[in-house]
This record gives sequence, structure tokens and C-alpha cells, in this order.
Amino acid sequence: MKRFFLTVISLTIGCFAMAQNATLPQNITLKALDGSTVQSSAIQNDGKPIIVNFWATWCKPCNRELNTIKELYEEWQEETGVKIVAISIDDARSASRVKPHVDGNGWEYEVYIDQNQDFKRAMNVVNPPHTFVINGRGEIVWQHASYVEGDEEELIEVVRRVAAESGN
Amino acid sequence: MKKIIPLLALLCLPAFPLMAQGILGGHVTGNIQLDGQISHADSLIGATDVPENLLSNTRADILYTNGNFSAGMRFEAYLNPMLGFDYRYKGMGIPNYFASYQGEMVSITAGNFYEQFGSGMILRAYEDRYLGVDNSLRGLNVTLRPFSGVTIKALTGVQRYFWNYISENIVRGIDGEVNLNGLIAAMADSRLRASFGAGFVSKYEPDEFIATQENGYKLNLPRNVGAGAVRMDMSYGNWGLQAEYARKGQDPCIMNNYIYRKGEALMLNATYSQKGFSANLQAKRIDNMCFKSSRSESGEMLYINYIPAITKQHTYAFLNMYPYATQTTGEMGLQGDVMYKIKKGTLLGGRYGTDIHFNGAVITGLDTNHIGFMGTDGYTSSWFKTGDLYYTDLSLEVAKKLSSALKLTCTYGYQIFNPAVEGHSGDLHHNHVVVADMTWKVNRKNVLRFEAEWMGSDSKYDADVDDKRCGDWIMGLVEYNFAGAWFISASDQYVYNDGNKANYYNISVGYTHDATRLQLGYGKQREGLLCIGGVCRQVPASNGLTFSLTTTF
Repeated sequence: MKRFFLTVISLTIGCFAMAQNATLPQNITLKALDGSTVQSSAIQNDGKPIIVNFWATWCKPCNRELNTIKELYEEWQEETGVKIVAISIDDARSASRVKPHVDGNGWEYEVYIDQNQDFKRAMNVVNPPHTFVINGRGEIVWQHASYVEGDEEELIEVVRRVAAESGN
Repeated sequence: MKKIIPLLALLCLPAFPLMAQGILGGHVTGNIQLDGQISHADSLIGATDVPENLLSNTRADILYTNGNFSAGMRFEAYLNPMLGFDYRYKGMGIPNYFASYQGEMVSITAGNFYEQFGSGMILRAYEDRYLGVDNSLRGLNVTLRPFSGVTIKALTGVQRYFWNYISENIVRGIDGEVNLNGLIAAMADSRLRASFGAGFVSKYEPDEFIATQENGYKLNLPRNVGAGAVRMDMSYGNWGLQAEYARKGQDPCIMNNYIYRKGEALMLNATYSQKGFSANLQAKRIDNMCFKSSRSESGEMLYINYIPAITKQHTYAFLNMYPYATQTTGEMGLQGDVMYKIKKGTLLGGRYGTDIHFNGAVITGLDTNHIGFMGTDGYTSSWFKTGDLYYTDLSLEVAKKLSSALKLTCTYGYQIFNPAVEGHSGDLHHNHVVVADMTWKVNRKNVLRFEAEWMGSDSKYDADVDDKRCGDWIMGLVEYNFAGAWFISASDQYVYNDGNKANYYNISVGYTHDATRLQLGYGKQREGLLCIGGVCRQVPASNGLTFSLTTTF
């Protein structure tokens, strides 16, 4: 009897261990800056790493983070092929300010608005900023809550590692 | 029996790889947040002793995802609710659970869901854990995407009310949106981007006995109340225009003092933006648009719709001391926002460029003519005339990187605040606020931040009203981030000159590792309004220790 339970337990654990990293949720509806709707499955980068960053126009550290990365983005793209997808969680109060905010800051990121916060909930984000690194298979391999100056260095280290693993 | 068990185990074996893919192959993710508080009496700031000694709010979201299927639940515990949270949250349980299928053409959620039609003027089921607001609906939510560019949503459910769901009061809604660029192939790459949408929401509530104050007549209450809205979102090149108009049927409720006037709301937004420059102008007019699933509910619970404040959501303490709370019964507002980046290498731009951000907002009441009390239409109002001034907010922010290590942001703000917005009488407050915020990146692993703020106000402290915000204020803050993981900060706010002289000091320590964050604070917290998106919660003064742990897995 004991052996039976051990077998079942080890098989169960084995099955869980087989499970890979969580992947990006599919088919969650987001708004693009031109007002069209986009499914989250459209977040792709040809097998290269993706940084998914949750932010809001009113969030100071988010703006510091995205402005800091703006200066480095071109360099990062050349080196690792990474793409940054910035998900705004602004609600009805400020959602209409997202596009002017992005343009005014001169950000070149792919930006989507998650006004009903479905994507935020699916990704278990508590507070912005919250940054995820997605590998070429769409798996979430790293995440970090909050931002202080200098955090971008750890972020790019992770992206470099992920890019190297996928052979870029 | 002994022989059967190994046999059964053997029979089960081939099933395991299948189960691993089918059931066990999914992912379990989640997040946990624990907040706690110990507070002691301090008569100067109005803090009282907490009889339980320790108060705590806990919340855990557990989510299981397998392909297009997901199911989740939320555990909440308020033992006992922290200061400022409604005491009716006391207790623990699993108030929220759902199962959902998210396909390409169809999404279905059974159980708890959050949804929004357009900007939410007729329906927005949402939650904000910091406000203690959870307007989630429990029922069925279906979204169809039959063709490219077309989205249809339909839902029915009952709303959460602390630990219960008011099962008699039903909310139903349908909404459609068409994106012309997605629907019409010839428009796919057009510079003109256009979407149109319309929605309708109806609530059902049983009859009840409510009598007029003057003569005690029973009100003939509508059991079904409908609200509808139309909207558009267009852009052409650098220009954008959004408009939404909503109407609501007769809905006598405690928030409008049981009048039968119909509700109406209009929001307009125009933007121009290009790289390095953007401007936007917003206008709104709200008239009797409070829409709740229970007519006798005052306070912040059971809202079906959401009317956002259009004033800027400030982050600096003194700019946020008098936040604006949306007046769903009636207001008019105008807001303008300009961002400009002075290019690098110019006289004013310097080596790194300079960012300038201006924001201005004016909110007034409606110009109304009273025609009666409970049971009547209440008032008439003129569309283009404004009533009393509620709020003015002007702010100019200049941010400049001085060197590769130093960044300075200076802000000036001017606010006029009408105490009537918070339901008090008294003169308008005129406040000037100056903020300097400097970040010094000492090296790769060490960052220092300094913040100094001052607020000059013509408001005077009056012991009868006991508004502890009155007077002039000054504050300083030092924050030190090190090793990319730790931070420690110390701050003090002091009120003087016509104020109820008091120091509000605070020391905080925090640690972040990946998606786990722990924060400890000790000090005094001023009583006041915590506002997010124009929805506000009164937070009493506290004096003592607070801690917070959040993690995502």
C-alpha cells in the first residue's frame, strides 16, 4: 500500500516537474494605440527575446525605467534582437493620454493598452512597474517588480543570457 | 486487495502522460500580498489606539492556465481590516472564483469577472485593492469576435458587496464595437483609423418602500433601469479624436436624493502628437450619472459605471494633498496637457535634452434650477453654463538630466480647491506647491534620491472642522537604493503657519528580489483621502509600524 502511494506521489511530482515555465497568456484582448484590438498572441519576436513591461502614465518609476531604457534600446536591439512591449494599465481616466505620453516621450516601444486589466491579472501583476523577460519559445523566464536606477543592467544581463540560449 | 492495488497502479500508468498534458500540464501561477499595521494613539495627528494591536489584510490570487482554458480563485482575509478599510470586510474567505475559455473567436467566463464597455460610463466592473473597491460581477460574460474588427460582448451577473453577492439585483449588458480598419480590407493600411461602438446596460432591482419626506407618499420606483452609450475613436496621422455620450433612464436613488431626472454624460478628447511633442484637450459634462445596482447604497460600493476624474493623477505628496473626487451627480470639466522635449545640443536642451510637461484642469459644478425634492425631476440644468468652481489644477514640470549621474525634476503647481467636493462648507483654498526631485546615480549599485516640497496655502486650521491639511507645509525626503535590491528612505512633513503644527516623520526599508518585495515602514501618516482615478477612500491618521509583502509566482 505504501509503495502504491509512493508511486502515485512520485509520478504526480514527475508530471509537475515536466511542466515547463509558464507561457504568455494567449487571446487576451488589448488595444493598440490606433484604437484597434489585438490579441495577446500577437506579441511575437521571431524566436528572439521579448521584454514585457507593465506601466502607467501616472507611475513615476515606470516612466523613469522606460525613459532610461529608451537611451539603450537601439544598442540592446542590435546586440540581442530584443523587443520591448510596454503594456499600459491606465484606466478610463488616463487611457486617452497614453498615445500622447508615448509620443511626447519619444518611446519606440510596441505599446498596448490593457484598460480592463485582463492581461495584468493573467500575468499576476500587483503593482507597476513589473517587467517580464520572455524567451524565444514564449516562456516567462524572469520577472522583476519595481524599478530603481540601475535595475536595467540586470534586465539586459538576463536578456543576453536568453538570447545566447536561443542562439542569437 | 493487495493484488488489486499494483494492478490498478499499472492500469493508471498510461493515463499519467495524458493527464500531464491534459490536466497537470497546465501552469499554476499567482500572487500574494500581505499588509499589516500596528498603530498607537497620537492626539496631535488624530491617531487612535488599535484595540487588536495588529491589523492585517491578506490576499492571494491563484490562477491555473492550460492553453485557452483558465480557472482562478482569490483568497482574502481581513484580520481585522486595516485602518481606512470598511469594517464590513472583517473575516476571511474565497469571494472570487471563475473558469474561463479564451478562444480566438469566442471568450466565455463563468463566475467572477471584470468588464468594461467603452470608457466605462455605463459599465465598469473593476477592482482596486488599495481603495478596497471590488465591483466584480458574478455571472456569465461572453465575448464574440465573429469577423476581423468586430467585437460583441454580452454579460449578466450580480455584484459583489463585501462578502456577499446581492442576488436580487441583476446587471445585464450588451456592447458592440467595430474597427473599420479591421473590417474593411481596403482600409487596413489607411492613415484614417476609426472605431465605433455602442452599449446598453440594464439593472433589475425589486421594489421597496421609500416615502417622500414632505408628505410620506410611497415612491413609484422603476424596477428596471437602463443606460446606453455610443462612442467613436478616430485618428488621422498625428491627430486623434475620441467621443463618448451616455444616457441613463429614471433612476431615483439615495445618491441623487430620489429624483426622477434622467442622467447624461459626454466625454470628448482631442490629441495631437508627434515624436517629442504632444498635446491633448479633454472636456466632460456629467449630469446625474450615478449608476448603482442598489438604489439605497451610498458610499463607494455597488457602482455599475465609472466616471473618471479628468484631473492629472499627481504623485508628489503636496500636489496630491487635495485630490479631486469625481462628482457623479454633476460636474463639467476641461483639461489640457502638453509635453515637449527640447532637443539635445540646443541652448535650453543641453547635452541630454530637457522635458517640459504642462497640465491644467478646471472642474465646475452644473448651473442648475431647482424644481423639487424627492419624487420630482429635481432640477433643470443648462448645457453650456457652468456652476460653482470645484477645482483648478495647474502644474508645470521641467525634467533635466544634468550629467550622466544627475537628474533633476522641478515642479510648480497651483490649485484651487472647493471643500464642497468633499461635502464640507468653507472658503476656497488656494495652494502653491513647489517640488524639487533629484536623483544621483552614484555608481552602478548605489542611487540616492532627494525630494523637497513646499506648499503655501491660504487655508487656516479650524478646530471645529479639524481639517489637518490646512496651513503651510514643508517636507524633505532622502532615499538610498543600494545593490539593486535594498532601499531605505526617511522623510518628514511639517505643517506650520495657520496649521495644526505637527511633524509627520516616516522611515521605510524595502527589499526586492525578482518579483518579491518586502517593505517596512515606521512613522506617522496624515489622515486624508486616498484617491485613485477619482474614486476616494478616507484614510484615518496612523502612528506606528506598517509592513507589506508582495510576491508573484
